[in-house]
Amino acid sequence: MRWTIDGRSGWYASALALVGAVALMLTGCGALNSSGPSAQGGSIAQGPLLQGQSYNVGGKEFDEQKVLCQLTIAALQAAKATANDMCGIVGSVPTRAALTSGAIDLYWEYTGTAWTTHLKQSNPIPDSQQQYLAVKQADAANNIVWLDPTPFENTYALGVKKETADRLGVRTLSDFAKLVNSGSPEATLCVAQEFVGRNDGLPGLEKAYGFQVPTGKLKTLDEGPIYQAVANGNPCNFGEVFTTDGRILALGLTVLTDDKSFFPKFNAAVSIRREAFDRNPDIAKVLNPIAAKLTNDVMINLNKQVSQDGKDPRAVARTWLQQQGFIGS
Amino acid sequence: MSAGGVLDPAGAVPVRPQRRGWLRSNADLLGTPIIVLLGLGAVALWVSTRKLDDIEARALQPSAILVDLGQHLVLAAYSTFFVIVIAVPLGILLSRRRARPVRGAVLAVGGFAQALPPYGVLVLIAFAPPPFGFNRFAVIVGLVAAALLPVLRNTVVGLQQVDPALIEAARGMGMSARATLLRVELPLAVPVMVAGIRVALVLNVGTAVLATFVGGGGLGSLIVRAQTLNRPLVLVTAGAIVAALALMIDWLAGVVERLVRARTT
Repeated sequence: MRWTIDGRSGWYASALALVGAVALMLTGCGALNSSGPSAQGGSIAQGPLLQGQSYNVGGKEFDEQKVLCQLTIAALQAAKATANDMCGIVGSVPTRAALTSGAIDLYWEYTGTAWTTHLKQSNPIPDSQQQYLAVKQADAANNIVWLDPTPFENTYALGVKKETADRLGVRTLSDFAKLVNSGSPEATLCVAQEFVGRNDGLPGLEKAYGFQVPTGKLKTLDEGPIYQAVANGNPCNFGEVFTTDGRILALGLTVLTDDKSFFPKFNAAVSIRREAFDRNPDIAKVLNPIAAKLTNDVMINLNKQVSQDGKDPRAVARTWLQQQGFIGS
Repeated sequence: MSAGGVLDPAGAVPVRPQRRGWLRSNADLLGTPIIVLLGLGAVALWVSTRKLDDIEARALQPSAILVDLGQHLVLAAYSTFFVIVIAVPLGILLSRRRARPVRGAVLAVGGFAQALPPYGVLVLIAFAPPPFGFNRFAVIVGLVAAALLPVLRNTVVGLQQVDPALIEAARGMGMSARATLLRVELPLAVPVMVAGIRVALVLNVGTAVLATFVGGGGLGSLIVRAQTLNRPLVLVTAGAIVAALALMIDWLAGVVERLVRARTT
């Protein structure tokens, strides 16, 4: 049998759904803290409303996802729908399983993750718009609707501490390739397993720039600790980062320029179960204008408020929506 | 103690030290390797019939898996070695009468170390100043902390359950306290101690999966990659390898345990 995740395929999907459900319970963000009168008025209240509708809004566990999840909840509430907070599911695969099993109705997913991880494709499409359309089209078969993508592009990059970059004179990925090929002991790299395994991760990067990090200088760790490890310069000076992560600003890291445009650019978009979408397709009119405003700078700033300033994602999301006039104060 | 052999504390099989009939009475030992071989064979057969995509093929390169396996075994071996080196002498000290006031407290510390979530401990140790860091050393320290208790407790319990009459007899024969410990108490405690070491070993093989999160390598790498990239084929293969490894290590330890039992009778 072919392994698929379409909600109908046997024990594997059920097991994942169970994992997702358990993750939901463990994160403890149940529906208790969801409703609130604060998200009223603003431009959303003037547009098409979603009265009488109820949505379970999910999201992954990292800061950017928490912000996106809370933005969605506040917007849906402003449109008079009930939004249940199920943010903070750990991992992309359990979150997607929660969606396909119906435990959640919608969450923000990245086109690259959907393409490689959920749709099992090996090679990403270089053009971000084409990539979005391909995902949207392929996922229609899974009864998942993709709303408009954000302008912000979250992509892989190599990060390094500013002082280290100055000291070594490394500004671009070509500079980094030169440093590796010179055999310098400073050319240490921290990556996560996903990056090692993906065609658009380390294997492709090494091929495109013509270098190979020797095994002794390559450290594979969890994604979370990489930022701090690079900031400490221990165990590595360079590390795989996501371009919109708030910790890049917070820890004084700088991102190497991808001068050969190797890394594919991935947008985020709301992925929603068709059944939930069809209940009232106006949900697209509520959420699409928000997606359109989420540029790289906006997203990095929102992430930084959570990662560095320690603010509550819910407060960050609501304040921004008020500033933009989406919801009243 | 009966002439034929010693009764397994689990209450089951009498083990005979005689050469004759040894094979027959230990035929049950063949079960685990057969199951492991059949299981691995089935997985290998299944994988060989699949068309692998780039990601799966990269993850399942035999050379890469062997490197992970080697790292995993090294981690488990080092950590078990240090657990024995630390916990056995400490357990012997704690079993002495003078140590009675602190015994409970030290065992509680061991229980505390075991109860800490190993992932958190590993990341904390990895961010500690040198010689800690994202390296094998940090992983081994974390594993040792998590697996110390079974060996410590079994050493204490193993020594305490030695019949006081035997110790008295040894002392009465003029043996020094040290000679009594080395020649009477420890040999009689060894079966219980080995059982504790077996638990620690299997614990270490399992927990070493977490090493990948702090740059320690091991078979966890394969599992984490398969999970983040949603490749069930790789996940099943990795799971089968870890399970087979744990079963075989437990089996080997079981064989050693049985030999030790037979010899100390």
